[in-house]
Amino acid sequence: MTASLLSLTDITRTFLQGDQRIEVLKSISLDIRAGEFLALLGTSGSGKSTLMHILGLLDRPSAGTFLLNGRDVSEMDDDGLSELRNRTIGFIFQSFYLIPYASALDNVLLPGLYSPTSTAKLRKRAQDLLSLVGLGDRMHFKPSQLSGGQQQRVAIARALINDPDILLADEPTGQLDSATSTEIMTLMADINSQGKTVILVTHDESTAAVAKRKIYMEDGRIGEGG
Amino acid sequence: MLQLMRIAVMAHHALMAYKLRSLFVICGVGLGIASLTIIVASVDGANRKALEIVEFFGPDAVFVLGGNITTRAVGQRTLTLSYDDAERIRQSLPGAYLVVPMRAKRNLTVRGNGGSMQLPVVVGATARYAEVWNWPLAEGTDLTEKQVARGAKVCLIGDTPARELFGTKSPVGKTVLLDSLPVQIVGRLAYRGFSGGGGSIDERIIMPITTLTQRFNMDRKYFRALRVKFHEPQYMDAHSENLRSLLRHLHGLEEGEEDDFSILTADEILKFLAMFKGGLVVFLGITAAVSIVVGGFVLANLFYLSVSERKFEIGLKKAMGAKKWTILAQFLIEALLLTVAGAALGMGLGMGFGQLLERLEILEIVFSWKIFFLSLGAAALIGLVFGLKPARQAAEMDAIEALKG
Repeated sequence: MTASLLSLTDITRTFLQGDQRIEVLKSISLDIRAGEFLALLGTSGSGKSTLMHILGLLDRPSAGTFLLNGRDVSEMDDDGLSELRNRTIGFIFQSFYLIPYASALDNVLLPGLYSPTSTAKLRKRAQDLLSLVGLGDRMHFKPSQLSGGQQQRVAIARALINDPDILLADEPTGQLDSATSTEIMTLMADINSQGKTVILVTHDESTAAVAKRKIYMEDGRIGEGG
Repeated sequence: MLQLMRIAVMAHHALMAYKLRSLFVICGVGLGIASLTIIVASVDGANRKALEIVEFFGPDAVFVLGGNITTRAVGQRTLTLSYDDAERIRQSLPGAYLVVPMRAKRNLTVRGNGGSMQLPVVVGATARYAEVWNWPLAEGTDLTEKQVARGAKVCLIGDTPARELFGTKSPVGKTVLLDSLPVQIVGRLAYRGFSGGGGSIDERIIMPITTLTQRFNMDRKYFRALRVKFHEPQYMDAHSENLRSLLRHLHGLEEGEEDDFSILTADEILKFLAMFKGGLVVFLGITAAVSIVVGGFVLANLFYLSVSERKFEIGLKKAMGAKKWTILAQFLIEALLLTVAGAALGMGLGMGFGQLLERLEILEIVFSWKIFFLSLGAAALIGLVFGLKPARQAAEMDAIEALKG
């Protein structure tokens, strides 16, 4: 049995709304091993986004322990989390979030610019990644000159630039047609087969079909299924 | 360092992406810096002017005018200084080593070498005029005692009439007609380049005072002005006070009566210039300060807009691992780049406009490195002060909130 890459024990997350306390995550325990392809399914309001934010080190749990590679990250400060995110997590978003005035290549480079990797190495790697996602001939295109599927491929290449352990995708096909969605999910499966841990957050069962493990969220609790 | 370089490149890209907005900030700051450039240049110009005037006037000299200059205008003043006065001063005033009476004749025409020119003033002076006025000769010789004693028909010619009549040729030894009086040019005064007492002082012709009074039928007992030079200029106050009591005594003025003459020293000229300069500094200073602050507000305003409009960019960068300081640094560098570009534009504008003012002879200006560093410093300060708040707001943004838009 390999050690867990991500280990959550009794995680809760409470938000204050006025003088009301809203418990969005209720005592969640979850272990994710390196190399898994995990889908986190649930309707809106189920708490899956909040859980994704915690898994992505963008938010901290209100209670419980969260170990990443055996290290407790619940007490780290913002800048510490930023550095850890930069090295270990690649994000893919529903609406791509590419910088509109930067070329595909510059967009892919962005997370690398906050790492100590040399610029020459980063450029080489960015070019390789863009070729890998099939955009080798469009490196200097602006996002507005690319289709939705192509923009999401740029975003995937960007997520991989710092060679992270985990790829965290939040509804990556939410704005794409079904043919393009299939292509993107196939690409994600390829990346997973090369050893990356992929966590897919979605409400769509068919998108989650390629995942090897599925977790259903409802009302702040999880249940495994599939 | 690598990080900072990369952030600077990002800042530059962002500015290029929001060209119009950047241009507004640059113009806003630029106008402020332009006024700053002009104010500093003109104050420096005024300073240089003052020093030149004082140097020309001489720190060891006083200038005595007949009549009271505070109550009567040029041409309205009474003639109260006599040759007797001059002689008595020469003989009995301690420390005085040069006493030069002067008269002036206005609006004479000079003709020669086929050309003619209207002269605002022909000055009558005694020997060694150039030396007394610290005014070097470009060529030829100064007026001599002998020429003055016998009322010789000779003159020194200023730079302007020399050029006007003789071009690049030497005027020395030539004869010109002053109205109908032929006089020989013995020396040519160097170019001085400033104005005083009706037109540029380079437009003058200087001749022996004796010649001037005799040939143009002027009063032979009195003259308009007197220049006195003293040894030991550190005691100028005492010298001028001695001169004043001597003249009061010679003119038989009772206690309580006003002086019927005026004594000007370099100090007094400086005081007058300082007063004039003070007005300039206050007026332009307020203008510059206001426009610089306005530029700052334009910057702050557009930066707040930028931060809220580029929320997703900030959230994205944070999610991708940007630390707080890198976001802060990016926005501050953007502000600095804009204000420094504004400073460059402002200096350009200021120098252009300043040169125009100088060419139109409205203002004398001096450009220096001081202006360069001052403008750059002021611009950087604006960038930091007015950019800091929006930049901090950006840096403190929560990544999740920012990404939600």
